[in-house]
Amino acid sequence: MVRTAALLNFRKRKESPAEEDLPLNRARYVVIDTELTGLDEKKDSIVSMAAIRMTGGAIDLENIFTRVVNPASSLSAESVVIHGITPSETAGKPSIEDALSEFARFCRDDLLVGHCVSIDLTFINKEMKRAFGSGLGNPALDTSAIYAWIVKRSPEKAFPRSFSGSGLYEIASYFGIPVSGAHDAVMDAFITAQVFQRFIPILIERGVEDVGDLLRIGHPSRGGENGRLSGEMYGL
Amino acid sequence: MPVDDVLEFLRDVSPFQDLDEATLRDIAGGISMEYFPKGSTILHQDGPASEYLRIIRKGNVKVFIRSGKDDEVMIDLRSEGDSFGFLSLVSGDKSRANVVAIDDTVCYLIGRDAILRLLEHYPVFAEYFLVSFLNKYIDKTYKEIHKRSLLYGGGDRLLFTTPVGEIATKGVITASQAVSIREASEVMSKNEISSLVLTDASGVPAGIITDRDLRDKVVSKGRDLSDRISTIMSISLIKAEARDYCFEALLKMVRYNVHHLLIIDNGRLKGVITDHDLMLLQGTSPISVAREIESQPAIDGLIVASRKTTKLIDLLLREGARASNITRIISEINDRLLRKVIEITEKKLGPPPLGYCWIVFGSEGRQEQTFKTDQDNAIIYANPGDDKKAEDAKRYFSALTLLVRDGLLKCGFPPCPADYMASNPQWCQPISKWKKYFSDWINEPTPEAVLKSLIFFDFRPVYGDAGLASDLRDYLTGAIEGRKLFLGYMANTIINNMPPIGFFKNFIVEKTGEHKDEFDLKVKGIAPLVDAVRLFALERGVRETSTLERIRELRERHTMVKDYAEELEHAFEFIMLLRIHHQFEEIVSGKAPDNFINPSKLSNLEKRTIKDAFHLISKIQGLVIERYKPMIW
Repeated sequence: MVRTAALLNFRKRKESPAEEDLPLNRARYVVIDTELTGLDEKKDSIVSMAAIRMTGGAIDLENIFTRVVNPASSLSAESVVIHGITPSETAGKPSIEDALSEFARFCRDDLLVGHCVSIDLTFINKEMKRAFGSGLGNPALDTSAIYAWIVKRSPEKAFPRSFSGSGLYEIASYFGIPVSGAHDAVMDAFITAQVFQRFIPILIERGVEDVGDLLRIGHPSRGGENGRLSGEMYGL
Repeated sequence: MPVDDVLEFLRDVSPFQDLDEATLRDIAGGISMEYFPKGSTILHQDGPASEYLRIIRKGNVKVFIRSGKDDEVMIDLRSEGDSFGFLSLVSGDKSRANVVAIDDTVCYLIGRDAILRLLEHYPVFAEYFLVSFLNKYIDKTYKEIHKRSLLYGGGDRLLFTTPVGEIATKGVITASQAVSIREASEVMSKNEISSLVLTDASGVPAGIITDRDLRDKVVSKGRDLSDRISTIMSISLIKAEARDYCFEALLKMVRYNVHHLLIIDNGRLKGVITDHDLMLLQGTSPISVAREIESQPAIDGLIVASRKTTKLIDLLLREGARASNITRIISEINDRLLRKVIEITEKKLGPPPLGYCWIVFGSEGRQEQTFKTDQDNAIIYANPGDDKKAEDAKRYFSALTLLVRDGLLKCGFPPCPADYMASNPQWCQPISKWKKYFSDWINEPTPEAVLKSLIFFDFRPVYGDAGLASDLRDYLTGAIEGRKLFLGYMANTIINNMPPIGFFKNFIVEKTGEHKDEFDLKVKGIAPLVDAVRLFALERGVRETSTLERIRELRERHTMVKDYAEELEHAFEFIMLLRIHHQFEEIVSGKAPDNFINPSKLSNLEKRTIKDAFHLISKIQGLVIERYKPMIW
């Protein structure tokens, strides 16, 4: 626990200007996804979490982080239907505290990337603050915000614009990324990583050069806070 | 888990499918994944060595080499399951070719260490890659053809059949290891050699020095040239026996990470072989022919160079190249030859009075030539402003085209029997006249006009102002759009040639005459396929002229093609390869190449494959008839 706290203090350094100069295709990213018991910040909690590292556009399949955790709140019947993780599966799994400290170690100082990532971060930081007194300091990028930015600067019919959910699967399908195994934290993180991988050359082509630019475009506050519930987030 | 996807994929990909589960899992675990949008360059020729073996998960790449400023020599097209970057990865040397994504492409990356481990522990793996980076990826059907070929029994492959002694540099030059760096390099430059064997006092080889050593250890380190050569020579002398096959030599180079081997025959130093020698033995030889053409100042020299094309096809067939790659390479070579002939002629005549474009059509236009084919060419020149300019142009171009025709004749390209050549004044015209020709044919599709359209509409620029050809292509696309009547006439013409296959799936052969029991593969097999694809391409305004590129382009744009695209590509590749083999065997046995195949001489697998191909062509013709029913009579 002490080690984790030290780690978290270390991370407070965050977003140094040097990193902002890094070109998109050289920066280090960690693509994350969590599965939750529900979306109510007060009542619900994390069921599983996954993280995949990227260096520039290369997705590293060697060290994939994945944990099914013992949730603080009980699994609701609806969420079981969504992720297919039943209460018996989470029994005997590591506690959220252990999972989170390993997660923080895995993420190092790198840029976090997620689809509608503010939701994931809300839950992660809530649990981290509760357990360790502070949340993650990493800069974060929301692929839904990046997508909205690209769509806005493209001809009207170039990209699909209205989706029933967060749009992750629709965007993935549009780019020819297979979406099998969806709604599992690892597969969703993997799909998100591939979507982000497709974005990189498009962004470079449109003059987005470095991490600083990227952080302005993809800031989670510009993305879909409620993206998982409604399709109204692409500014249309 | 994403790794499971990788595993599943690798289980179907050679040579990974031959590895055991644990090894495969180990490999899959260390993989990363990259995405390259269409058009992006993945490896640069002469760029840094590749650090990974890349396996194509999805998409297509082309591998090509640039030999001059605008010259591209196509080496290969690779698609799902194929890999690239192997050679520069294991040699640590600069990348030898450009690799560009021609579709959005996803690759799996395997690091150098993992590959070296596999090479060491799995001989199958090593052999596969040595074969495959030579462009020897061939499917079963192709293998069958190669195996059966009269000339190359038992899966003959150069690397596996050529003893290393045959291609080693003989008469090795040596020097004493006591000489200075300066003296040693003087010996090397005087003898124009890239490596020098150094001997001890009793004349026994003690080390070797290469250009690379001079570069890396002397020049870049600012070393004193009067130092003894023995201080920088490499003492790991790796030897190979003269009777060893080349692939064994290559394996040794990879294993010991050296670029030179000493070749020993009967215990005595016989020669030196470099990785470059091995390279020349393989896929890059089209380049040497291309360079040779480039360096000729006169037609006479071109005659000699052009004879090498047959030899080149021999090499490509032996290496198991796909038909489309063979024909493309031949096209590239013939294009160069043609450009060079024109260039030499222009030099003789002085600059042209007007901008012009030399175009080719027919099989040349589609880049589907096999051996020397008839000249099918024409000139489009810019519209002359006034009568005087028009006269000048006529005079100049008539002289130019006659000289070029004769030059090509000398290089072995017979004239077109129908006189579709630029030397015929009718086919050497300003762009306005060409547009008039095309619109006349489209407006009044007489049988003769349709036949001309079939040939001329496959035009492609080879020399001069390509903008003129592009202008004409735009015009043609516009003129043909929605012209159902013309397309109907064309459909009506092309369905007359039917694949030689009967109701009971038996072959229909000539009953009498010189070609009794044979069928004409070109007229009955290739033409119907090429014609149908051209018709679809014209319907949709596709600009590409080669049949395979048209199919690829139409895949997304034409409902009829969509379902059959892949089968059509395979059928076309197969028929073309059969044809090339057939013609090659005729040439080698001193006959004039023709297109007549006797089906009873094919193997069962070949018979079945060609029947499938013909069946497919019949199906496509059926679709054409259905579509143009009201106009078919």
